Amino acid sequence: MKKVLYFLLVFGMAIGTGWAADTVKIPVASPFTGQLASFGEGVKNAALLKAEEVNAAGGINGKKVEILLEDELCDPKEAATVATKLANNKEISIVIGHLCSSATLAALPIYRDAKLPAISPASTNVNICKMSPFYFRNVYKDDFQGTFLARYIDRVKGYKKVAVFYEVNDYSMGLMGAFMKEAVKLGIQILGTEAYTAETTDFKPQLTKFKMMKPDAIFIPGYAPQGTLIISQAASLGMKVGVFGADGLDDAIMLENPDAEGLFVTTPFLPDQAGPAAAGFIKAYTKKYGVEPNWFAANTYDAVGMAVAAIKAVGQDRVKIQQWLLSINTKENAYEGVTGKTYFDENGDCLKDAYIKVVKDGKWVGAEKQMM
Amino acid sequence: MENLLGMSSLFLQQLVNGLTLGGVYALIAVGYTMVYGVIELINFAHGEIYMLGAFLAYTMVTVFGIPFFAAIPLTIMICACFGILLDFIAYRPLRRAPRLAALITAIGMSIFLQNLALLIWGGQIRSYPRAVLPKAFFQNAFVVGDITMTWLQIFILAVTVVFMFILHLIIHRTQVGTAMRAISQDKVTSALMGISVNRVISFTFAIGSAMGAMAGILVGLYYNAIFPYMGYNAGIKAFAAAVLGGIGSVPGAMLGGGVLGIAEVFGAGYLASEYRDGISYAVMILVILFKPSGLIGKPILEKV
Amino acid sequence: MKTRMSDIPRKCLYLGILAFALLLPWLPLGGSSNYLLRILTTATLYMVLALGLNIVPGFNGLLDLGYVGFYGIGAYTAGLLTLHYNVSFWIIVPLAALNGAIWGILLGAPTLRLTGDYFAIVTFGFSELVVLVIRNELWLTRGPMGLPGIAPPSVFGHPLTQDWEYFYLIIFLLLIVLFVVTRLEDSRIGRAWYSIREDEIAAQCSGVNLIQYKVTAFAISAAIGGAGGAFYANWFKFIHPDMFKFWESILILCLIVFGGLGSIVGTMLGALALIPLTELLRVVLPQNLFSGRYLIYGVVLVLMMRLRPDGLLPFVRFQQNKARRAQKRLAPTGNGE
Repeated sequence: MKKVLYFLLVFGMAIGTGWAADTVKIPVASPFTGQLASFGEGVKNAALLKAEEVNAAGGINGKKVEILLEDELCDPKEAATVATKLANNKEISIVIGHLCSSATLAALPIYRDAKLPAISPASTNVNICKMSPFYFRNVYKDDFQGTFLARYIDRVKGYKKVAVFYEVNDYSMGLMGAFMKEAVKLGIQILGTEAYTAETTDFKPQLTKFKMMKPDAIFIPGYAPQGTLIISQAASLGMKVGVFGADGLDDAIMLENPDAEGLFVTTPFLPDQAGPAAAGFIKAYTKKYGVEPNWFAANTYDAVGMAVAAIKAVGQDRVKIQQWLLSINTKENAYEGVTGKTYFDENGDCLKDAYIKVVKDGKWVGAEKQMM
Repeated sequence: MENLLGMSSLFLQQLVNGLTLGGVYALIAVGYTMVYGVIELINFAHGEIYMLGAFLAYTMVTVFGIPFFAAIPLTIMICACFGILLDFIAYRPLRRAPRLAALITAIGMSIFLQNLALLIWGGQIRSYPRAVLPKAFFQNAFVVGDITMTWLQIFILAVTVVFMFILHLIIHRTQVGTAMRAISQDKVTSALMGISVNRVISFTFAIGSAMGAMAGILVGLYYNAIFPYMGYNAGIKAFAAAVLGGIGSVPGAMLGGGVLGIAEVFGAGYLASEYRDGISYAVMILVILFKPSGLIGKPILEKV
Repeated sequence: MKTRMSDIPRKCLYLGILAFALLLPWLPLGGSSNYLLRILTTATLYMVLALGLNIVPGFNGLLDLGYVGFYGIGAYTAGLLTLHYNVSFWIIVPLAALNGAIWGILLGAPTLRLTGDYFAIVTFGFSELVVLVIRNELWLTRGPMGLPGIAPPSVFGHPLTQDWEYFYLIIFLLLIVLFVVTRLEDSRIGRAWYSIREDEIAAQCSGVNLIQYKVTAFAISAAIGGAGGAFYANWFKFIHPDMFKFWESILILCLIVFGGLGSIVGTMLGALALIPLTELLRVVLPQNLFSGRYLIYGVVLVLMMRLRPDGLLPFVRFQQNKARRAQKRLAPTGNGE
């Protein structure tokens, strides 16, 4: 009994004291601890970097931006609790998050009921933006990338036989589905598909199977931590095949892997042709954190940028911010950030250009032949 | 004919893959099974020692510039001391407490160590820089037809076998080994016979942790991935391997690791890769149902 | 049992807590009240789950590491029935409990003759298999896409939307489970369970049918897990295979050992202390120290077990030699004793 009262008291006080409104608070909810902490690392770094830059340039209408880091471990339970906390804080007018689709979908009804707009930098589940007018995302839709990659390997690379090595999650399976649908249309032969889970570190059994099929290339619609292991292990089995993936493989750890030479991935912007904004971002990020930014970082950086732009334009009103985000719906009035031009469709899914970049001599470079 | 050849080489390659994986599981499983043998505790924090082993060697190699082969014994020694410390801080005060209290302590230590590692090394996945490793690790030791085996794989298997052999000698040919076996039979009587029970338990933790640290380094090498939560999944698998073999039995842990590794690889290679872990767990459940005390475990005698 | 001295103040305490819980949503807490309600709803859900799990390790002395499997089965039963057939919540909860119990019997009947940690690892394997099936059988569960858009439960035609409504709902569920569990504890079945826990062979000699009572315990425990899962699915309106990982089983086990293994009030207290702890630490710790949250959580577990190895409210039913009971608690077959 006393314990309950004490809990109440501490909660009330701690929340109460946080309510002094001289900064603009932008919460960033992601896994910063737990099994998927490595994904949250880029999110955290990029959000803090962007806020630092905005503050150095005078903040939002004179107010400083303060990033609230909300750790949720990719656990839907914690995500929903965090969402409730944010939804009930009147000072919060937009949320950046969440990262895992499962966390996003658990938090979604809470943001929707509180009319609190949110931008996810990474959740790709097809349902997210359809289910709530208040959910936006600054990440490719899976079907777009999958289709794009199928066309690219058909027209530019000329691969005829492809094996697909996917992770059992919605991101990977969405990509694989779109890729295979288009590939079949184009007459590319899918030799086989094999699955792995995020906990896997040993991919040799599946790769050995692929090796016997003798494919031209392997498509890895997964994330970089596993992707780099797959590439190394394929090389150690003596497989010499093309390897390609989507934005999930776009990570600096690929550059440390000598076997990743020749890997190509989709990207919203080309590093060697990037505008000054992107080049500056890569430089500042690398200088501050000692690693190159991955796609989580780049998307988060722009998501925070969009939130700042929205608040600058219409103030801290939840519904007005949502309307403002919905209003950037053409290439002409798109938000120009480090991930190229971003604009939303009527659901809140973002639309972006796609390019192909390759690992060459331990650096990401734009592929010689792009597909327009 | 060519088809048949292809199939047999696929089989052999998968066998090589399975044995390497099984060797790794066995190395971790030994730590569980030894601790369990003497104090009947499922040491959940063992997976974290394995993680610390990988990280310590990484730090020595990258930050202090210690040569890789010198970092291995250093890491093993530090982790052995750490195992003793873990026992001293967390488990020794609970020797007379209910068994589950010690289990919860182990879980608490495991959470604590994971987050400590996150605080120190960050969440980024790290890998040993290739420059400091012997080049031969990544070259093929032999290629027969479609089957390849790298020197690293041979190194892992060799280290596993050598460590197991040393362990066997310790347990069966030394005084402290005899004491360990006595304690696992009957703690109270062992103490009455003049065995310093706590010292032997400390020694067990040291040996188990040393094996865990070695496994951590090997896995970090083999899979090129070191991160704060790597101990969790490997720990669960290794624990399953220990139980499969018959918990408390060292040869059982080796056999259990091997069986689990091969079941997993063949499950993924021949059946359905999405049910990879499921296949190994199903094998485990079946084995336990038909041999209720594990593959080589002693049946627990019921006494009144 | 009826004349226990502590019964009357105990009942007053229960009523007091209940009254307080019912009043809670109406306290003037401003913006944080929904946050607090959310945390307390989660804590109460875990009380229900912990009461269910407690039956197996607490009453019977068998280590069960696969409880989350039944929780997941219940949640998916509820989620699929709501989505596809729009069955009422009040029918779903018993159905989910029934489905949990069926799987509990299917798993328990062949495995409950196993001893000690072999049983534990089989239950663990089972729960992992449940998650794998949920993850991979796309035609049934949509796998990693999860099941979004589950309709909220309704009471007399009024769909629940507010946080306090769910809080009342879970309190109601807790009261039912509490009633069942306390009645069981004092019944013939409960006494048979305790005898199994204290000494299996002695129990058998006194005419207790071991397998039958153990399977009953396992089935009831699984049913409560299933019911908890059903509430969870309808409360979250979204379920995903990642929600039912092994860690959840461990967490619930922590709650009951932390509170006092075998003790009903202790089990509930354990949930009430540990579940809000992570959120309390989130609020109290400085912003950039998020990795400190679980660091401290781990330390709390270790310290608590060191200071009170029998839990917050230790189970006191038999006034026995404490050390002996402690030794026997989870080694009913007398391992080397």
